[in-house]
Amino acid sequence: MQETQQSRTAIEINHVGRTFPTAGGSFQALKDINARIPEGILTILKGRSGSGKTTLLNIIGALDTPSQGHVLIDGKNIARLTERQKDNLRRKQMGFVFQAVSLIPSLNAWQNVEFSLRMAGIRGSRRERVEECLRMVGLGSRMTHMPAEMSGGEQQRVAIARALAHRPRIILADEPTAELDSAMAAEVTRLFAELVEKEKVTIIMTTHDVGLMDAGGMVIELENGEQK
Amino acid sequence: MFKMMLQKLLSKKWMSVCLLTGILLLAATAVSFPMYRSTAFDRMLYDEFREHLSTEGEWPAVNSFIIVSKKDAGGKAISRMEGLMEELCGMLGVTEKETVYYYSLAKADARSLMNRKDVGTLSLSLGFLSGLEEHAGMLAGEMYSEEGIADDGCLEAVISQSCMVSSKLLIGEIIEFSGLKDPEGKPVRARITGVFQEGREKDFYWRRTPEELSQDILVSETVFRKYFTGDRAGGYTITCCYESLFEYEDLEAGQVKRLKETTEWLTGESPYRHTISEPVYAKILDTYTRKQARIDAALFLLQIPVLVLLGAFLFMISGQMYDMERNDISVMKSRGASGGQVFALYLYQNCFLTVLGTLAGVWLGRIFAGGLGSARSFLEFDFQGSLALPGGDVVLSWETILYTAAAMAGCILIMTLPAGKHSRLTIVNLKQKKAQRKHSWWEICCLDLICLAVALYGYYTCTKNQGAVAESVLKGENMDPLQYVSSSLFIVGLGLFALRLQPLIIKAIFALGRRFWGPASYISFMENGKNGRKQQFIMLLLMMAISLGMFHAVAARTILQNALKNADYLAGADYIVKEVWEDNSSQGGKGGDPVEFRYYEPDYEKYDRLESAMACTKVIYDTKAYVDTGGNSRQDVTLMGIHTRQFGEITRMPEGLMEKHYHEYLNELALNPDGILVSADFRDILGYKKGDTITYCNFQGNQARGKILDFVSYWPGYVFSSMELNPDGSVSHISRPLVIAPIGTLSSRWGTVPYEVWISAREDADADEFYRWIKDEQVRPMRYVDRSADLEAVIRDPLLQGTNGILTMGFLVILLLCGVGYLIYWILSIRSREMIFGILRAGGMHKGEIFHILINEQIFCGGFSVAAGILIGKLSCDMFVPILQTAYVAANQILPLQLITRQQDLIRLYGVTGAVLALCLCILFGLVQRLNVAKALKLGEE
Repeated sequence: MQETQQSRTAIEINHVGRTFPTAGGSFQALKDINARIPEGILTILKGRSGSGKTTLLNIIGALDTPSQGHVLIDGKNIARLTERQKDNLRRKQMGFVFQAVSLIPSLNAWQNVEFSLRMAGIRGSRRERVEECLRMVGLGSRMTHMPAEMSGGEQQRVAIARALAHRPRIILADEPTAELDSAMAAEVTRLFAELVEKEKVTIIMTTHDVGLMDAGGMVIELENGEQK
Repeated sequence: MFKMMLQKLLSKKWMSVCLLTGILLLAATAVSFPMYRSTAFDRMLYDEFREHLSTEGEWPAVNSFIIVSKKDAGGKAISRMEGLMEELCGMLGVTEKETVYYYSLAKADARSLMNRKDVGTLSLSLGFLSGLEEHAGMLAGEMYSEEGIADDGCLEAVISQSCMVSSKLLIGEIIEFSGLKDPEGKPVRARITGVFQEGREKDFYWRRTPEELSQDILVSETVFRKYFTGDRAGGYTITCCYESLFEYEDLEAGQVKRLKETTEWLTGESPYRHTISEPVYAKILDTYTRKQARIDAALFLLQIPVLVLLGAFLFMISGQMYDMERNDISVMKSRGASGGQVFALYLYQNCFLTVLGTLAGVWLGRIFAGGLGSARSFLEFDFQGSLALPGGDVVLSWETILYTAAAMAGCILIMTLPAGKHSRLTIVNLKQKKAQRKHSWWEICCLDLICLAVALYGYYTCTKNQGAVAESVLKGENMDPLQYVSSSLFIVGLGLFALRLQPLIIKAIFALGRRFWGPASYISFMENGKNGRKQQFIMLLLMMAISLGMFHAVAARTILQNALKNADYLAGADYIVKEVWEDNSSQGGKGGDPVEFRYYEPDYEKYDRLESAMACTKVIYDTKAYVDTGGNSRQDVTLMGIHTRQFGEITRMPEGLMEKHYHEYLNELALNPDGILVSADFRDILGYKKGDTITYCNFQGNQARGKILDFVSYWPGYVFSSMELNPDGSVSHISRPLVIAPIGTLSSRWGTVPYEVWISAREDADADEFYRWIKDEQVRPMRYVDRSADLEAVIRDPLLQGTNGILTMGFLVILLLCGVGYLIYWILSIRSREMIFGILRAGGMHKGEIFHILINEQIFCGGFSVAAGILIGKLSCDMFVPILQTAYVAANQILPLQLITRQQDLIRLYGVTGAVLALCLCILFGLVQRLNVAKALKLGEE
């Protein structure tokens, strides 16, 4: 594990474990994960499929609660937040890009991106920001297309535009490059690096693509739920 | 394949249960109709015969033949007729009650061997009446013996009392017919052994009463046959009468066709047509068939909307099922299954479900039929007095089997047709399909506008011809199907039109509040814009359920209540008894002096002993009175003499029929003993004014004068004008003017004249008490009215009862369907959108906001449908209930028709709908509450 001491800690992961009940007893998906993720860097969560990356990401995103340990964001244990506070945290300070397609099918690309601004309660000048974000992901010309009319890669890029539109402090991206070709994947990674650089966003992104591993300022590697 | 299908069904058990429910209800509804019909028609047939029996006092189910077997003809005609008699009931398909043979020889001169001075030459017919020994009682003497011949060779014979009186014969007297010869060639001698009369009990054997047999001397059948028929028939002229009585009690509706056709053949084309007299039951069957055709058409048409709705429900659920299995289908296809194989799998599954559902449906149909038969009013059943108890004597007829088969075919067709479309689906065009967005087919072909146009055309024609409808009912003409169907078309048309408007309305609301909408509202507006079309079906179902439910409730109440009110009015009072009045006309004056004619008033005290009576009053009711209209002309009128105060207390009339309450007219009459009230015809047709004085006379010609106080257009129990069917099939309107005078004035002028007694019953009166009283007091009524029995007859009328039953059943089925359909639709809709909710929750949307979305959706879908349904329902009730109502108007409808709405029914309807919507919301809340965001997102991965 590498660590940079130059800025303050955005996310602190302390002894986090996650156990799922199964038919035959229980399954330990995560075991004693520890990390301090500083503000404004791109962190890569790597590991094979089934190693617990998504579970950890869900816990960081307050979508799931750890069975052991806790996650602190800005020094606050997010497991102790009320449901509503968690919602607000996700709504205003986080952006998500999911492995599966995560657009709302009834909204077009533009509306999907704009919706995250609505959710965050941002008023006025939304149009410029939406268009800016879509251009940033290279979809400036397909803004009015419905999700069903776009390819998987295009949808994924809309999801990225949506995740960053409301200027969140943290972006959690689960395999954002899985559906993209290598050129596009490199482009997305470059975009993330640029975001970290320009907007001081903390990005955690899972991937199993070895080629992208170098892009991160920090790498957490998981294997069978354990930190390597 | 069976295993695969079973697995498929089990994996979607809720959908399968829904499909089964739909099939069950469809089969039950379809099957209950013929089941109810056959039992109701059996009863109606029985009632028609019974009615004839009680009004005419004669056995209605009888065929009478008469032939005269001439001398020299050798008795061929007799043997042919006797052959016919043996086969007749079999030919008609009925059960024989009794066949009475009455043969009599032409009148022959006879002489008494007693040599009495007071008896000259007699002219008598010798004959026999089959079965006499079993049916006759003996007034004196004995019946002829079994052998029929005494030891001395005399035939034993009996005579009626009238014959004894007119021919002055004595018991024991021997009569010799010189013209008649016994087998040995000697003149026939008959000894009178007794005088017969009718038995004590009412016996329909007596087609000819003993009084009518005043010239007949009857011997035993065997003897008569031996002496005068067979080889010997050639020697005599014999009049042969055949009365073939059959049982009508166990006559079933299914036998009518054969009975009717055979009877028509007998009287029309058969070689016997000149020997048969037109049987009375032919008319009864005619009336019955006319009524049956009307009821058939009416009830069938009433069922259509419910059946269509059920079909639509099946279509929707199976469509949903195909939608859910789209992926499976496209995977199967991609793996090489042919379209035919996919189609076969669905066909197989649908057949399986249909057979299962129909088997249970037939059983449920019996309960439905029982329900129809015990319907007393809308949403009201009385299984006690039920026509057919559930699972009771409702039988499985061929007709039922036919309906079952039709229902099955319909179910399979409805459910399988969409499979054809889906079986052509591959994974490629599935993806393409998802991207497509288009108008619904009905929007493109303007189905809503077409339905509305047809409905409004129906409305226009039926409203225009409203007057003619009553005439066509009387004539027994078939009803215009538009009369029944246009209301349903109107509801469907307006419903579809509302669906066309709904997206526009939602868009307008969205545009109006664009600035205020939060994320939740935004999402719900956008979802509605995108997926609104998927909801159209369930919305239509909900709208139709509410508007059709309202329509059914109002129509059922209106039809029955108007009929009941009319019957209540027509009865006049709870009981009316008109007794037979004896007079002194038959006594003649002593010594030929003319005696003043007078009536013997029957004992009035006995009315005090009628315990169920609260009060009674005398009413002179003279239908043969007339008014002198000047010159030599007279106007026939009905004269009513009443005791004003008592009459007002005993009778009742609905409010608002005339300018003033009828009690005010009574008060006016009470103050003016010389005044009269007359019907409005006197003013409108005869040109009289208030204050004119007219001379009126009763049926005996007794005169009185009265000053017209006022004109009335309604009066308790009185029919002012009626329609009658002429023999040529045309209808004539008959006006029946009325004169009402105080009874005191009439009796002071004319003395005692026959009157009726009008009685009001106590609230808790026992209905049978009245009949016990009639029997105990030996009242001889010429006419009586029992209001409660009249009202009961209205309720039990097959047309009204069937209508009520079908409307109620339809209402219940619609409610059930609508509830189940709505729940299923929304549960599936939420399930299919779990991923979206997951995305929204992951994006930080609060649960409360998710609920907000759900509530918005319910308002756009459910709320809109309910509101539209209520509006459409109200409109269609106001427009179409009066039209439907006219199909039920009896020829004797006097009171103006009113639209009757029971708030209670509507509250029930709204209550159930509200409960369904609330339950739906609760379930949806529960589903969202349990939603696991991480899991929901996983779903999206597949």
